[in-house]
Amino acid sequence: MSSNQVKPPRIEPAVPVRLPHRRRRAFGILGLLLVLGVVGAFATAVGSVQIPFLTILQVMFSKLPLVGITPNWPETTETIVLAIRLPRVILAGLVGAALSLAGATYQGLFRNPLADPYLIGVAQGAALGAVTGFLFPFDWPGIGVGIIPFLAFIGAVLSVAIVYLLARVGKTLPVTTLILAGVALGALFGSIVSFLVITSGQAMQGIIFWLMGSFSLSKWSEVQVILPYVAVGVVVILLYSRPLNVMQLDEEQAQQLGINVERVKLILLIAATLITAAAVSFVGTIGFVGIIIPHVVRLIWGPDNRILLPMSVLTGAIFMVSADLVARTLLSPMELPVGIVTAVCGAPFFLYLLRRKKRAVFF
Amino acid sequence: MSVTNRKDNERDLLVIKLEAEKLSLAYNHSVVVKELTFQVAPGEMLGLIGPNGSGKSTVIKAFSHVILPRSGKILIDGKDIARIPRPELARLIGVVPQMPLLPSTFTAFEIVLMGRTPHLGLFQTEGTRDMEISWQAMGRTNTQSLAERKVGELSGGEIQRLVIARVLTQQPKAILLDEPTSNLDINHQVEILDLIKSLCREDNQTVVITLHDLNLAAQYCDRLLLLKNGQLHAQGTPAEVINAKNIEEVYGAEGCVYAHPVNGLPTVLLQAGNRRNGKK
Repeated sequence: MSSNQVKPPRIEPAVPVRLPHRRRRAFGILGLLLVLGVVGAFATAVGSVQIPFLTILQVMFSKLPLVGITPNWPETTETIVLAIRLPRVILAGLVGAALSLAGATYQGLFRNPLADPYLIGVAQGAALGAVTGFLFPFDWPGIGVGIIPFLAFIGAVLSVAIVYLLARVGKTLPVTTLILAGVALGALFGSIVSFLVITSGQAMQGIIFWLMGSFSLSKWSEVQVILPYVAVGVVVILLYSRPLNVMQLDEEQAQQLGINVERVKLILLIAATLITAAAVSFVGTIGFVGIIIPHVVRLIWGPDNRILLPMSVLTGAIFMVSADLVARTLLSPMELPVGIVTAVCGAPFFLYLLRRKKRAVFF
Repeated sequence: MSVTNRKDNERDLLVIKLEAEKLSLAYNHSVVVKELTFQVAPGEMLGLIGPNGSGKSTVIKAFSHVILPRSGKILIDGKDIARIPRPELARLIGVVPQMPLLPSTFTAFEIVLMGRTPHLGLFQTEGTRDMEISWQAMGRTNTQSLAERKVGELSGGEIQRLVIARVLTQQPKAILLDEPTSNLDINHQVEILDLIKSLCREDNQTVVITLHDLNLAAQYCDRLLLLKNGQLHAQGTPAEVINAKNIEEVYGAEGCVYAHPVNGLPTVLLQAGNRRNGKK
């Protein structure tokens, strides 16, 4: 029995348990990438001007290097596809991915199913910045982008920074305090925004349209600005998906398992805030995606963040591209705010899933 | 496979020594542990006993650096734990918290596998070896049959055994347990404490355990620390610590210590109506 004796070689039992996330992850990611490709191509093909699907593919592939396709389509077709629809579809995908991932991250970080990307003041800060931009539309060429997205981004980041500083106790950041500070500051900013909106006169319609979210003014320049934020944010957050799993235990246990809880919290908070701020600053505070898509993913693929986070990225992108497609085609030529579509299409689907899988699925 | 086994056995021989040096612990302004000094010898099973609020759990939290000392130090092999990075500390000390909260939708196996966290870098995922270590730990704690069940469906006793499997998976050199038997019936109490005792004896693991049940403490621990209001009231072997005088001074219950009929260790028997105020 003593450990000083040489033990006979143990025959290791093969582990008969498989990890759910490994089984599902590879298939799920490939499948969703395929769906995203199809939905994206379809969304590029559909619009007020009918363009055959084949032509769309030809136009897109002709821009790739080493592909010799001679143009046999009018110049306007190429403009519609490449300068109007494609950046819009890509922007919708990026924003959907960002909001959905940020929502999943906040839900994991706060261990709270009601968390969404706007919980700690991002949306209200962005709105306050944007409304300021609408009311004082001066142009400042030095910033490279329009004044409204610039101020919205500053507003979003500043408000989370204020919430963070208010909620910090010594070296730690208690999650409950963070949420409460965020909700309170959000309410304050929200009421200032409401006041500015009702006193804004002619600018009111533009402001309201922005608040509900729209991709109607999407350009490649916007894709260029958002892409780095979303790309870096997604990579950082996905890298921390295993620590985020461990943090689903309480913080004490996570620390006892060797996680630097405060550091992980701060990194994830910054990453999720930056991708949310970048997304909303151009297209407005689109609701619903950030809270519901992670739950849809959780219902289908389970709670492991190593599958939840990447699936949220892809599902969010697919959902937003589809929602924007509906927003611009349903009452064509009139365009709906995409935020309305996300809720009207998403809520019934989510309720259906909720009823079909009646077990306690959230946390 | 045999190579890694030999490595594991070598690891087992490296035991560590824990020390508290004039340790004072406080929550905000209420001091719960005052100037506590004690040592845990390598490979020893040390029991912390004392009434509710005497500071037992707080000491456990301080040793895993979840709360910071108000003053004084905690040393592992002479090194201040404040200077040990958290992953390294988690490879030295594993904790079984009292009533641990677990995310209900994870499977039992996933929870146990989380014990490998301090051994994995940020970019690493669990490999076959990690899975095997987890599976063996579940074998030792009799939880393999629960592996694919959701944690939310498990009973308190099953969760307790699962968290012990997780701490075995962590492969620390010292294990701290906070009331590991409080959720269990008497059969499982003995099962769990037998297991912990075997970790101590066969795997040379240093164990610190808080226990409410003085009889279990007497049966299983090599040495006991009796705490009263955050101060050390007595320490020594169970026979030295659990005697009528100490029990009366700390708990205010008189004349209730007897010798165990089989092994002669001190045993506390309670009698209805036999209680007086702790004042002497």
